[in-house]
Amino acid sequence: MNITTSAAFAFILVLLLAPAVAGVATRTKSALTGRQGAPALQLYFDLWKLVRRGAVFSETTTWIFRLAPVLVVATTLLAATVVPLDGRVSLIRFSGDWVAFAYVLGLGRFFLVLAALDTGSSFEGMGASREVTFASLVEVGLFLSFGTLGVVTHELSLSGMLGVPFARHWAANAPALVMISACLFALLLAECARVPVDDPATHLELTMVHEVMVLDHSGPDLALILYGSALKLAVLGAMVVSVLVPRANLSAAGSVAVLGGGLLAVGVGIGIVEATMARLRLPKVPLYLAGASSLALFSLILVLWNPA
Amino acid sequence: MILFFAGLGMLVAAVVTALVVRGDAMRDRVFATFVVAGASLASVPAFRVLGGATSLATRWPSGLPGGDWVIGIDPLSAVFLLAVLVVGAANAVYGAADMRAGANTSVSRQANTTYAVLVVVLALVVTAQSVMLFLCAWEMMAISSFLLIMTDHHQPQVRRAGFIYIVATHTGTLLLFVMFAVWSRGTADWSFASLAATRPTLMWGGGPLFLLALAGFGVKAGFVPLHFWLPSAHAASPSHVSAVMSGIVIKTGIYGLLRVVMLAGPPPAWWAWTVLLLGALSAVLGVLWALAQHDIKRLLAYHSVENIGIILIGMGLGALGTAYGHPILAILGYGAAVLHTVNHALFKALLFMSAGAVYRMTGTRNMEELGGIARRMPITFAAFLIGSIAIIGVPPLNGFVSEWLVYQGLFRAGYSPGALRIALLGAPVLALAGGLALACFAKAAGVVFLGRPRSDRPLAAREVGPAFLLPQLALAAICVAIGLLPALIVRPFLFIGATIGGQPQSQAAAAWAEVSPAAQSVAVFATGLLLVVVVIWAGRRFVLRRRSVRLDATWSCGYGATTSRMQYTASSFAAPLLSVFGPLTGVQEHRGATVFHSMPRDLILDRVVAPLWARVRRSALRLRPIQDGRLHFYLLYVVAAVLAFLTYLVVAP
Repeated sequence: MNITTSAAFAFILVLLLAPAVAGVATRTKSALTGRQGAPALQLYFDLWKLVRRGAVFSETTTWIFRLAPVLVVATTLLAATVVPLDGRVSLIRFSGDWVAFAYVLGLGRFFLVLAALDTGSSFEGMGASREVTFASLVEVGLFLSFGTLGVVTHELSLSGMLGVPFARHWAANAPALVMISACLFALLLAECARVPVDDPATHLELTMVHEVMVLDHSGPDLALILYGSALKLAVLGAMVVSVLVPRANLSAAGSVAVLGGGLLAVGVGIGIVEATMARLRLPKVPLYLAGASSLALFSLILVLWNPA
Repeated sequence: MILFFAGLGMLVAAVVTALVVRGDAMRDRVFATFVVAGASLASVPAFRVLGGATSLATRWPSGLPGGDWVIGIDPLSAVFLLAVLVVGAANAVYGAADMRAGANTSVSRQANTTYAVLVVVLALVVTAQSVMLFLCAWEMMAISSFLLIMTDHHQPQVRRAGFIYIVATHTGTLLLFVMFAVWSRGTADWSFASLAATRPTLMWGGGPLFLLALAGFGVKAGFVPLHFWLPSAHAASPSHVSAVMSGIVIKTGIYGLLRVVMLAGPPPAWWAWTVLLLGALSAVLGVLWALAQHDIKRLLAYHSVENIGIILIGMGLGALGTAYGHPILAILGYGAAVLHTVNHALFKALLFMSAGAVYRMTGTRNMEELGGIARRMPITFAAFLIGSIAIIGVPPLNGFVSEWLVYQGLFRAGYSPGALRIALLGAPVLALAGGLALACFAKAAGVVFLGRPRSDRPLAAREVGPAFLLPQLALAAICVAIGLLPALIVRPFLFIGATIGGQPQSQAAAAWAEVSPAAQSVAVFATGLLLVVVVIWAGRRFVLRRRSVRLDATWSCGYGATTSRMQYTASSFAAPLLSVFGPLTGVQEHRGATVFHSMPRDLILDRVVAPLWARVRRSALRLRPIQDGRLHFYLLYVVAAVLAFLTYLVVAP
């Protein structure tokens, strides 16, 4: 394993910057809708506050409920190690690491869903049920996107698919790659519980997916879950940035800087979506996800029939 | 080979033990000891073959038509034999205890006897190297598993399940008889070696034989649409029998297909595409139907249909690799298929055992009546959880390793030249199956073990004894070991893949050279995951150490009077996901002001097989007048048949 400094820097930057991405989204949304809005760094304050709190556990719950927040963060961290966050190379790279990326996130989700069922609450069961429904449809789009990137680059690892040599593939496959970026961004919104799939701002339980699953978590555990969600958003955001902005000719510092800027831009993008769109009705969400997947399917067909 | 036969001898001794020894506890202990010892002995030659020793074979003059009986262990046999022995031994220990806990002595004795016979014939099925022996063992396997399914034969649904099973399995056997009879026509002895030698003269390029084998072995393997006997048979039988049926017996169908592919040589592309398509269909529909089940054992049974689908996707990839001249793909595909077969045998047996322990303690398999068992049966829950994580194929357990290999094969196919690259579309299908599997096992583990009890039944549950737990823990340990040490495990499977795909060993070594760094990285990834979990867990403990931690009721949005009936049920958990797929799931929903539950139906059994069978029955009735009980008419039929046969012999070239 050959860990480059820029990969390590990018990794640390994402870990530190993650809570700010959601904050930027909130700022953008409030600016566009003419509201005051929370400060961009609100999540850092929340996390700090929660870590210093005690915890309340439901009497119904078992060790699953306590382990789930730990696994949410641990799996997201591991998923981040295989993504080339600096646009060049990841901390761990191996052929088929995109399977590990998607499936390790699945492990975290599995435990989060179990923790929700562990409470025996009807609301959390509802959130858990919706979460697995949407997540299994997200996987299709994700693997179609990876498939397209694999065919375009002839690579078997995320570092190869999204890394340095990516610049030249834009010339040959621009339409497919535009569609892939759009698909990945749409999946990011779904996976990270943002509008139009879920609304992180509402606290009316019946309308929510992700938030309702974590109603019972408190103190440091809630902090872990909030941080895990923010980190997942940042990692998926970094992936979108890596598709959109090839960083072949940049210095290490430059590519890390592009990552920082790109993440903030992703935050702004989410904010724009949230300011201009309403949340979809739940039965429409599978259609939204099928739409995202068909974008990826079209791009896959494009590159399969017109190999570079 | 001597150790193998000695091991089989010990297993036969177990049969005798179960029949002879008096005293229940004593008998079970001696029985379990004999099975475990026999399995350990018989597995030694299998390990030696896998470790690189040459294949073993013995030839016994049978004196029967069809030539000598050949028994041998080559790498493919060895790996299936190991699965048979490991899962067989674990379930012998579990099953003896389970049968004694639940039934009277005679049932327990009969079940132990038949079970040991099943293990012996399973070992024969995967080591037989001549047609007659193979078919005899195959048929004995069908009959002994039929008897085991019928253990609780006083229940009508068990008799129905047994009937459907025996009809299905015999239909499959008939097809195999035809296939082998046509294939071995003209060979001197009906040994597998001479079948392989008749490749050039295969009927119409072997196409019809391939379809016969696919259908004949497919009924046993239980892929869509031939799975219809499987869910009811698995649900009806005792838990350890379900475990062996699902873990091993259906895998003999896979073994048979792989053996046929090996003997028939490089397949044409359309064989490969057929297998791949069936695999994709089976993977998605199997898990979708599993998700709709509320009987925990039926859920696990349908999940086997999904995993058989994943195995077929691997096989299809391997066959594509051979057909399109892509050696690494052939090795990866077949290797992944065999590895997933072994993995599935391990974790599915584990899951059936855990589910069986819950059934033993609560008396119900209906998930809607369970809940909150994790507190009462913590070790069983841990075992079921490990099985669940393994089966949904996520790191760090063994299911991930084989699915990762399949995905790699799919992607490699994706950037190959020609039509081969369409196989890449298997990846999103597999991903969908993976996502659905996660939902399915979140439902199974969550509704059965977590939350609050949904009826009075779980209240009686307490942890089962060591004879139930040790076999589960043993299988769980193997699952963890394969997940954490893929570099050790994947290598022999690539060599087996090369053997099946007809690739030279040098190609396997090349494939391994390409895969090994990744396998080591997977190990780093899996171990890293565990390390990070431990570190964060310790940090969480440290932070919470000085804070107030208290217990309270579950937050229910201010509503005070919650009852356990307000929890999400198995039906409601699966409902949104099933509604996405609409009529494909075959679910009927019942909605009322206070009730919501869904009824799963098997689309193939209820809509296709049953109506077809009724029609066959109706038309068969028209033939009835020829059997009117008068002897001289029967003699006339015999004479006519003999005449017709003689005429054929004279006229035929």
